[in-house]
Amino acid sequence: MGDSSDEEYLGTDWLAYSERSDWEDVQPLAQDDGPNPVVSIAYSQKFREVFDYMRAIIARGEKSQRALDLTTDALRLNPANYTVWQYRRDVLRELKADLYAELDYLTEVIGQNSKNYQVWHHRRVIVEMLNDPSNELELTENALVNDGDAKNYHAWQHRQWAIRSFNLYDDELSFVDRLISEDQRNNSAWNQRFFVIKHFGFTPELIQRELSYTMNRIRIIKNNESAWNYLVGVMRQGDSGNALLSSYPDVVDFVEELYQAGNRSPYLLAFLIDLYQEQALQLKASDSDQLARKVYGLCEDMATKHDVIRRKYWQYVANHLKNQLSTVEQK
Amino acid sequence: MEDRTDTEPVLLSKHAKNLLRFLNLLPARMASHDNTRSTIVFFAVCGLDVLNSLHLVPPQLRQDIIDWIYGGLVVPRDNEKNCGGFMGCRAMVPKTEDAEILECMRNYQWGHLAMTYTSLAVLVTLGDDLSRLDRKSIVDGVAAVQKPEGSFSACIDGSEDDMRFVYCAATICYMLDYWGDVNKETMFQFITRSLRYDYGFSQELEGEAHGGTTFCALAALHLSGQLHRLDATTVERMKRWLIFRQMDGFQGRPNKPVDTCYSFWIGASLCILNGFELTDYARNREFILSTQDKLIGGFAKWPQATPDPFHTYLGLCGLAFTGEPGLSPVNPSLNMSMAAYAHLQHLHEQWRSADGRGDEDISVSSAFKQQLHLSKGVEATSTTTTSNSPLISAQ
Repeated sequence: MGDSSDEEYLGTDWLAYSERSDWEDVQPLAQDDGPNPVVSIAYSQKFREVFDYMRAIIARGEKSQRALDLTTDALRLNPANYTVWQYRRDVLRELKADLYAELDYLTEVIGQNSKNYQVWHHRRVIVEMLNDPSNELELTENALVNDGDAKNYHAWQHRQWAIRSFNLYDDELSFVDRLISEDQRNNSAWNQRFFVIKHFGFTPELIQRELSYTMNRIRIIKNNESAWNYLVGVMRQGDSGNALLSSYPDVVDFVEELYQAGNRSPYLLAFLIDLYQEQALQLKASDSDQLARKVYGLCEDMATKHDVIRRKYWQYVANHLKNQLSTVEQK
Repeated sequence: MEDRTDTEPVLLSKHAKNLLRFLNLLPARMASHDNTRSTIVFFAVCGLDVLNSLHLVPPQLRQDIIDWIYGGLVVPRDNEKNCGGFMGCRAMVPKTEDAEILECMRNYQWGHLAMTYTSLAVLVTLGDDLSRLDRKSIVDGVAAVQKPEGSFSACIDGSEDDMRFVYCAATICYMLDYWGDVNKETMFQFITRSLRYDYGFSQELEGEAHGGTTFCALAALHLSGQLHRLDATTVERMKRWLIFRQMDGFQGRPNKPVDTCYSFWIGASLCILNGFELTDYARNREFILSTQDKLIGGFAKWPQATPDPFHTYLGLCGLAFTGEPGLSPVNPSLNMSMAAYAHLQHLHEQWRSADGRGDEDISVSSAFKQQLHLSKGVEATSTTTTSNSPLISAQ
């Protein structure tokens, strides 16, 4: 829960609305919080006054330049007030205001409140009104790269929306690759990669290319859940979404080699558990024993050595397979 | 439950005092929370409930809370758009007798799904019987903000739509035991379209899988009676994604730091899928307690960070899932205590028999019957109040 400070945003040369000659005609309207309010906020003088004038303007339905300026002040004090944002949009429409100026204003506001839902929503509506997404990739790139939070959920969401709505996929893969190169553990970037590749279609060629890309990444950092999740996620896209892990022998070889070389990353072991489990369930009961024993052994290693925090889970996985195999046998 | 000898205690009474303070006056620096004041009431009241400490709320304050919550109820007239529900604040309510002004302001008074959900949860937790609201009008408001693709906005105008409000919509309809024109099928489609390749759920469509939105998705499926539509393989893969979020406490996404609130979001999701017992309770507890403020009470996001009601409430719920002594059991999908849930079931039973819908099996366990009895005492006092909300239209 973030805090706000009036002084920080509105400066010291503030002139109260009650002392402004161009606001003489407006009678401020206090908030009615009921006879015995709870969770009352000890609003600052400035906050109280700005919102008193805001209510007065909304009550008059006044949609003017000064109403627009007033919303700017109100939203600096509380950028989460979704009703004031809506009123601002109503004023912008009425005034037929310059929406590119609004985009500039929003770039500044988003720079200060990059994790606020309302500012991103307002941005989306304005871009829709303009039908011009040409600034959105740069805006979100700034929020993700220059401002230092490459996992900002709002920025990625806005970026996906712009790309999807205005078909801006063409250069996205190079952006994603850059972010993955900067931080291979950036799960948001891996997710964006999936989003882009899915748009182009998971053809056998693209699947193969993505698997190679991901295996190369795993060679550099082996204990990286994001890359392993992506690897499995892409593998499952084959065969109309029903592909088995064993359908990609080069990946299976790659993983088994890592294991032989002594790597014991829980993500690697989890992959092998899934692989052998799938195979055990595909085969006839007599042939599945050896694979099942591999699964039980790996689950045991996980529970006692490599992933102790999830020991109950790995015991559960082993038991689950036992139950599945005995059901198969009974049939 | 695991061995807890020599472990740090949960400072129950300090947390209760901490939450109580938030019900009164909040400092000016919290002005950016003005629009979500009812969520602060929710964290405080439901937190006190989980702490078995609602008795610390004096009867007058309890009544004031109920009245203040009802003061945010928006009831649209026949000729107005379907904006029924609760507001979370009073920023759009002017203090005036002027009928023309009051009329004008109605154009900007809308129920908000998150505020409606938290308001209803507070009323239920305080034992109110919800007789001062029109269930249909509220659910009409919920249906009015559903998008053709199944998602929900927060309010009739000026809001984004995503999984958070899908959850709120499902909770509201479940609590009011009425789904009206809400389309559960498109809701299901939207939720399952937001399932990602790693088997967590995104906030919307192809965004990154996230612990909070995964909770919203699973709880919405559960509350709308659609959880069984997920096939067994899918459920096992979801469990994997969720279980992998535990580092000591829980993280919300792969390769992100742990945070107290995910002990609730991930913990509750696993409870819904019957997988919570597969987690490491002791390590989870150890992390949550590392964020406990020993001086003023409350839990924070991270160790040494400032505690707040959001993390305090969700931290307590996270501990409650592990059977922490002194805490009331929590209903994971509704995000309220089992005692409050029992009261809700009692209301449903009353409504159903009044509606001639026959006696549904409400199977309240004996453990909760005693707590139910306590909350009924509160209910008796709440029925003596009358609405003084300026928003409920007089005609």
